[in-house]
Amino acid sequence: MSNNKHFNEPDDPFELFLVNEGDGEKKITEKPFAGTSNTSDFILLKEDHTLGNLLAEHLKQEPRVLMAGYKVGHPNVPEVLIRLQTDGTISPREILIDVCKQLIASYGQLGREFTREYELRRMVAAGEQENGGR
Amino acid sequence: MEYDTMMMDGESLGPSVKISAADDAYVNFQLSNVDLSFANSLRRVMLAEVPTVAIDLVEVEINTSVLADEFVAHRLGLIPLDSREIDQLNYTRDCDCDQSCGKCTVVLTLHAKCTGDDVMKVYARDLIVGIDRPNNHIGNPVITDPDGLGSLICKLRKGQEIKLSCIAKKGIAKEHAKWSPTSAVGFEYDPHNKLHHLDLWYEADAAEEWPASKNANFEEPPAEGEPFDYDAVPSKFYFEVESAGNIEPDNIIHEGIKEIQKKLAGLIHGLGENDGMDAGYDGPRSPDGMDGGAGWQDQGFTTPYGNTGGTTAWGGGGAATAYGTTPYGNSGSGGGW
Ligand SMILES: [Zn+2]
Repeated sequence: MSNNKHFNEPDDPFELFLVNEGDGEKKITEKPFAGTSNTSDFILLKEDHTLGNLLAEHLKQEPRVLMAGYKVGHPNVPEVLIRLQTDGTISPREILIDVCKQLIASYGQLGREFTREYELRRMVAAGEQENGGR
Repeated sequence: MEYDTMMMDGESLGPSVKISAADDAYVNFQLSNVDLSFANSLRRVMLAEVPTVAIDLVEVEINTSVLADEFVAHRLGLIPLDSREIDQLNYTRDCDCDQSCGKCTVVLTLHAKCTGDDVMKVYARDLIVGIDRPNNHIGNPVITDPDGLGSLICKLRKGQEIKLSCIAKKGIAKEHAKWSPTSAVGFEYDPHNKLHHLDLWYEADAAEEWPASKNANFEEPPAEGEPFDYDAVPSKFYFEVESAGNIEPDNIIHEGIKEIQKKLAGLIHGLGENDGMDAGYDGPRSPDGMDGGAGWQDQGFTTPYGNTGGTTAWGGGGAATAYGTTPYGNSGSGGGW
C-alpha cells in the first residue's frame, strides 16, 4: 500500500503567508465602499492582526481620517479587511500609503535606537571587565 | 550605571529603547514613546515571522531504536540550528534548483550504533553537517551546554542502530513552531494596572493576591484615591526576548523589524506607489525573495541591517542609514503618533 502523503501534512504548507500570484491573487486590493463618501475597503491577503491592528490604529491617529477599522473575518482564513474613510482632502489609498511609510520610518528608527543602546551596553560591559569589575 | 539618554539622543521624539538586562541568550528592554499596536506587532512578528533554519525532511535508512521514525523526525525538527546570516540561504520554493541544493538547504546526517552494555545517548553534536552550504556556520546544531553535547535525540541499547539523513530548510514559525527564533517573548505594560485593562479575580484582596511584577519598580504606583484617567493609553512596554539559540537575541529584534518593514513596503508596492522602489522588485511574493531580499533593500529602503551591526552611527549626525535619506523623506519624527 502506498502512503506517499502523511495524513497530517497540510495540502499547502504556505497557505498562511504566501500570496498565490499564479492564481491571480494580489497582496492588497482596494474596493471603493458605496455606503459612505471617501470610503474604501482594502483586502489584504495572507496577513493577520500584525498588520491589521497596526494599520487601523495608526490610521485612526491621522487627522484626515474620519473612520478606520479592521477585521479578520475568521481565524482560519488568512485575510484582513481594513475599512477606511477620509475627510475628502486625501484619498483612502493615499493616506494608507502615507501611514505605511511613516511606520517603516518609525520601525527603522526603533532599530537604530536599539543598536545604539545595545552597543553602549556592550562597551560599558567591556570597560568594566578591563577595570577588574570595579 | 545611569545614562542620560536624552542628551545623546538625536531622535527623542520617536521610539525609545532602554535595555535593562542582556546576555547571549536573552535581552530585556523597555520600549517607550510608541503605542500598543506598534509594540504588539513587533512582538508578533518576532514570534512567528523571523526566518530560521530547521530540519524539515528526514530520510531514515536504519532505525532499530525504540522510537518510531516519525517520533525521531519530530525531535530532529525541534533541534535549534545556527541561523545567523540567514539571508544567504534561499527559501527552497524560490530557489532555481529542482528539489534542493546547497543554496537553499543544509544536509545533516546521523549514524550511531550501540555496541557496549551501557545505554548510548545520541546528541545533536553527533549530527554531521554537510559542506555544501552558503557559509560554514549555518545549520550547525546549537550547542550551549558546558559538556558540548547539544539536544538529546534518542537513546540506544546494545545492538540498536540509527542511520538517517536530514534536510534542513529555511522557514518561518507561521508554518511550524520549530522555525521560531524565540523560545518566549515576554510582553507587559502598565504593571500597576492603572489602565484597568485587566480585571483581577480575587478571593479577598486583589493587591494581596496578585504580587507586583518586577516591572512595577519602573513605574509609579497609583496614588491613594487617584481618579481614573479615561484618556490614558499605554506607552511603555516591557519586552523579554529569549532566543532559542539559533539567532542572537539582538538580531531577533532587528530581523523582526526588517520583516514588518518588508510587509509594509509590500503594501506600498501593491497599492501602486513606486517611489523608492525599483521595478525589479516584483511584489511581496514570499517573505524573503530568492535574491535575498536585496531587491528592495538596495533601492531606497536602506535599512541599517544590511551589514549586521556594523555601522552604529550613534556618535552624532552620521546616521547615514536613516530613513531620512530615503525617498520617503520622513525624518522619522514626523509620524505624529
Ligand atoms: Zn536550491
